[in-house]
Amino acid sequence: MDYIYSILTLTGITMIGVMGTYMVTGLTGQFSFGQAAFMAVGGYVSAMLALKYGVPFALAALIGSAAAALSGLLVGMPTVRLRRDYISLVTFGFGEAIISVLNNSAQLTGGAEGLVGIPKRVDLPLVMASVVVCLFLVACYKNSKYGRQCLALRTDELAARSMGIDVNRLKLVTFLFASAITGYAGVLYAFYAQYLEPGYFNWTVSAEWLIIVFVGGINSLTGAMVSAVILTSLPEFLRFASAWRIIIYCIIVLLIINFRPNGIFGDWEISRLWKKKTTVKGGQA
Amino acid sequence: MSTTTTRGLLEVSGLSKAFGGVHAVDDFSFAAKPGEIVGIIGPNGAGKTTVFNLVTGVYAADRGSVLLDGVSLCGRRQDQIAREGIGRTFQNIRLFKGLNVLENVMTASDPTAPYGFFSAILSLPAKRGSDRQEAKKGREYLSLVGLSGLEDARPESLPYGMQRKLELARALAIGPKVILLDEPAAGLNPSEVREFIDLVQRLHERFNFTIVFIEHRMEVVMNLSHKLFVLSFGKLLASGEPLEVRHNPEVIEAYIGEED
Repeated sequence: MDYIYSILTLTGITMIGVMGTYMVTGLTGQFSFGQAAFMAVGGYVSAMLALKYGVPFALAALIGSAAAALSGLLVGMPTVRLRRDYISLVTFGFGEAIISVLNNSAQLTGGAEGLVGIPKRVDLPLVMASVVVCLFLVACYKNSKYGRQCLALRTDELAARSMGIDVNRLKLVTFLFASAITGYAGVLYAFYAQYLEPGYFNWTVSAEWLIIVFVGGINSLTGAMVSAVILTSLPEFLRFASAWRIIIYCIIVLLIINFRPNGIFGDWEISRLWKKKTTVKGGQA
Repeated sequence: MSTTTTRGLLEVSGLSKAFGGVHAVDDFSFAAKPGEIVGIIGPNGAGKTTVFNLVTGVYAADRGSVLLDGVSLCGRRQDQIAREGIGRTFQNIRLFKGLNVLENVMTASDPTAPYGFFSAILSLPAKRGSDRQEAKKGREYLSLVGLSGLEDARPESLPYGMQRKLELARALAIGPKVILLDEPAAGLNPSEVREFIDLVQRLHERFNFTIVFIEHRMEVVMNLSHKLFVLSFGKLLASGEPLEVRHNPEVIEAYIGEED
């Protein structure tokens, strides 16, 4: 039971992290290869506040997410002007730099040995509630003028600009929001695992989140969430095949990318099930 | 319905742009009075689209000025110029593929929608009201160009002629004072061309905006324009009333002669 409980909790935390990648990659079409670093910022800042200054969890969580958003601002300001392929390089570099800083400031962060003794404040119900709340916020964002403008600039920046869309500002706002959400995933992880080490947040995690978004459907939040659940729990279900499980995982991912290049869900959203009626009615009016 | 505006005065003077050693546009000037329909014609590669790109801020001009209602647009960003009231369509249709037909039109009013980030993520009443208003407006624009009932369709699934109309509806939705149409009739069949001329005339009567268009089809040029400017190798070759330009021997030699 404990085992399933922990898989569910970690899956929930991954879902929140993937929401950040979905926003940056799915909505604005930029590749963030350093998304997990924002999780590290959120996790470390909130954990250190709690450990060193006895800051209560709720406040630490808020400051942790805000710190992640602030680091998003630092990375985002120069990068939104860049071409898409350079953005992945810059975010990758930033991510690795964060890991390096965490490793080398051992007095503060515990370095490679990790940060221990974080109080346990997070359990499954809190993670599930957080997933629901974050999902609501992100879905509302996608469904607002911000989401529409993001999708517009993702397909055609020149045409988006000629509609009056301030492309750079919109990319930055989305990047900040994504950083804050991912940072919150880091907070949850820190106060659930009670232990942080820099290696947990390196680029392989960011790459895994990108894979999750692509498998689910680049344009579908629903897809990203379903694929987060499947791909996070899949390695656990494949445990019986121990040595083979990573290979099976890779084969499944390759098959999906090959045979459904737009991901499992393409751009389908679950909200279409209940939205359909209103738009049809509007269309006839 | 139609309102007589004094807005939409576009004055372009001495516009120049070189790409490497090629003078794509060389000291080109033209003006459109409020509510006027102005055509820019010229052989392929004459620099017509570059003129549009300079006016809308896609490229910065090397020299020259662009004034909208007396206000200079030089040094402004592309999105700022659009919000000042210059809408445009593109030679090769550029619709937003990730969005449906109605959402494509809504993106044009989104930049000025009056709600902020927190209203958006919490879906507050301000956001929902504004979105409803935008959708209603968007439907009106779609019905004006004859695309009612296709709100939920994917733009790439529409036939070519309808994609042109959708692009027009999207440009209308920014509430332009001046609208720039880049070869709007390209790829349309003869009956679609006539329909298109009617549509532009109807929209012009209703909104009375200034229209500047680039076109090769003589039917469109002669039926729509009040004034014509002929561009050849980046330079102004001739300008004036459509008929007078049509009979200008230089123009016939450079351009129309090839067609007739």
